[in-house]
Amino acid sequence: MNSHRPDALDEALSKLPKSVPTERDLWPRIQAQIEAERPGKDARRGFTPRWYQLAAGVLLVLASSVTTFVIMRDAQERAPAVATTELPRPEIAAMPASFAGYRLGEDYTKARAQLDLEFEQRLALLPPEAREKVERNLADIRAAAREIADTLAEHPTDPLLHELLMSTYQSELQLLAHVTQMAPATTKRVQL
Amino acid sequence: MEMSETVGRADREPSSDELLVAGARRGDMRAFERLYRMHSGRVYGLCLRMTRRPDAAEDCVQQTFVRAWRNLASFEGRSSFATWLHRIAVNEVLTQARNRGTRSESDEERVAELDREQDGDAPFDAADVMDVERALQSLPEGARYAMVLQALYGYTHEEVADMLGIAVGTCKAQVHRGRRLLRERLGLPEAET
Repeated sequence: MNSHRPDALDEALSKLPKSVPTERDLWPRIQAQIEAERPGKDARRGFTPRWYQLAAGVLLVLASSVTTFVIMRDAQERAPAVATTELPRPEIAAMPASFAGYRLGEDYTKARAQLDLEFEQRLALLPPEAREKVERNLADIRAAAREIADTLAEHPTDPLLHELLMSTYQSELQLLAHVTQMAPATTKRVQL
Repeated sequence: MEMSETVGRADREPSSDELLVAGARRGDMRAFERLYRMHSGRVYGLCLRMTRRPDAAEDCVQQTFVRAWRNLASFEGRSSFATWLHRIAVNEVLTQARNRGTRSESDEERVAELDREQDGDAPFDAADVMDVERALQSLPEGARYAMVLQALYGYTHEEVADMLGIAVGTCKAQVHRGRRLLRERLGLPEAET
């Protein structure tokens, strides 16, 4: 540090303020420049990378739903009738009938359990390739739902997140129902 | 100008800075804005005294904080955040001066002007803060840079030499020259040894 002994010059210099306020607030300019250089200029409006992940997840859900519809239609057209006895159990497990804290009714829970069971039975009848695609699509939808649910836990009052969550949930049910509708006449439809 | 600043190293409360730096590293713009609010006055004071021009000093402050944001990941905490910012600011001043390419000419003009003004009597009053400020601004560039950083902001000769990219001996010589010129212009006696 300074090795000079205090004298009149040091005393005069010590009276100078170290901090000098700028004539205008420079922060808006600094923030604007930082935002402009950031990947994704929408960050200033609150759209974080997390939102983009969610958006990508929702798109994936839509794509999965369409893909599953096409797969099931093709499988229905090609596959011969298969006996429904002694069905092998598929590897995937159905999601519990709860969703990010939403309380679901008893009727729904029962219908959902029935749907899950019929889905698993029907899934086992699909050709291996189609079954694998359906399973993968279902996994994608559930991953998107988990991502949205996690974000919703951080922003519990965000209406868009609630909407996304319910939409994703409906997509999952639609997928389950779509596969199950191809089962024999014992299948019951679930109102979404 | 704020007159309540304490004299000494340009360090701020470390724990507060550390928390805010950690937040800013995670992308928290509000934490970085708080860092700006806490440190911009000193950065501006340093830049203003080095550049002598408010508009140039403001540009330096802006670029200093933008560069600090970009390089937050490289801040290792070996020095205080304020010192790290000041290093960036000094570098910005030097870069800007190089880009403008007029600093030597303007310095020479200013020194010559002061020499003409100085007819035997000291042109500045050491008791007047504004006069001391003006006397500091009248110093030639090299001496002014060294004096601002060493005598005003309290950095060591080694730190100043490192910031300015000069030898330690050169820094000491510039400070010596700066002090001598200031004494002359403020009408102050030589320090007792």
